[in-house]
Amino acid sequence: MLEPPLSCQLSITRKSALSFNNTIVTVTDVWGRVVSWSSASTCGFKGTRKGTPLAAQTAVGNAIRAVVDQCMQRAEVMIKGPGLERDAALRAIRRSGILLSFVRDVTPMPHNGYRHPKKT
Amino acid sequence: MAFSLTSLSKSLSSLLPSQHSLPNLPQNPPNFAPPVSQSDPKSTSIRLSSCLTTPAEETNAITCPSFAYANTLFFKSGHYNVQVVVADNEPEDKLLGRFRRAVFKAGVIQECKRRMFFESSQEKKKRKVREASKRNRRRRPKPKDSAQSKEETSKKDDDEEDGDNWELPEGDLPY
Repeated sequence: MLEPPLSCQLSITRKSALSFNNTIVTVTDVWGRVVSWSSASTCGFKGTRKGTPLAAQTAVGNAIRAVVDQCMQRAEVMIKGPGLERDAALRAIRRSGILLSFVRDVTPMPHNGYRHPKKT
Repeated sequence: MAFSLTSLSKSLSSLLPSQHSLPNLPQNPPNFAPPVSQSDPKSTSIRLSSCLTTPAEETNAITCPSFAYANTLFFKSGHYNVQVVVADNEPEDKLLGRFRRAVFKAGVIQECKRRMFFESSQEKKKRKVREASKRNRRRRPKPKDSAQSKEETSKKDDDEEDGDNWELPEGDLPY
């Protein structure tokens, strides 16, 4: 049985692929086990509107609402990916009243990985 | 029959874990605040030395080890580009500004944009030259003799115009 998390990790992944942009918010406990998650698409946004700061804000709000009932007090934020949605999401987390320990940027950086598609 | 049933139940109860065998968890929830002082907002690195300092933390390590070392596990696991430690009473705008500045300084977004599409060797050279010029501009500020240099260049231009021999000389030709 999962114990109610006293401290949580909020992970905001801003997915940017060739064809779509989306914001996914995952709430996990201190050991990395997922407690709840939400995304712009689950909040009802479709297409290009998924990649907007408003969509990110609503996704964060949804994810936090599901966890606040479980007495989440402190959170650590991990942000992955570029974009304007990062600021909106961080603002929404701050306004929700949860105490933040730290905010990290965990955007993955390859050590010169695979060959990317040609510039259009 | 009854004797066998009671003996069976006793043996089963001894095998099964008792309900009261759980360890006594500490009543106060352990503090998950990072072990580093938050006084220096510019620092983005975290020191991992002496994670368990107080006797309360040490007792936590014995009673519930997973809780005690949870913070250190989290700090050690994974890799991050930027970290900003947040104070409790910090205003929202200040936190955002600090985070954005740290991300800009680390060059995360620039790197992401660069890696969206393939960069040819020529484009790579141009980028390197641009970056080098930016760096050198910061190191070597422009000299403030621009007024003097302008006068010199204007004088030079006048001399050149007088010495220009493209116009035909006045008077008749010698032959």
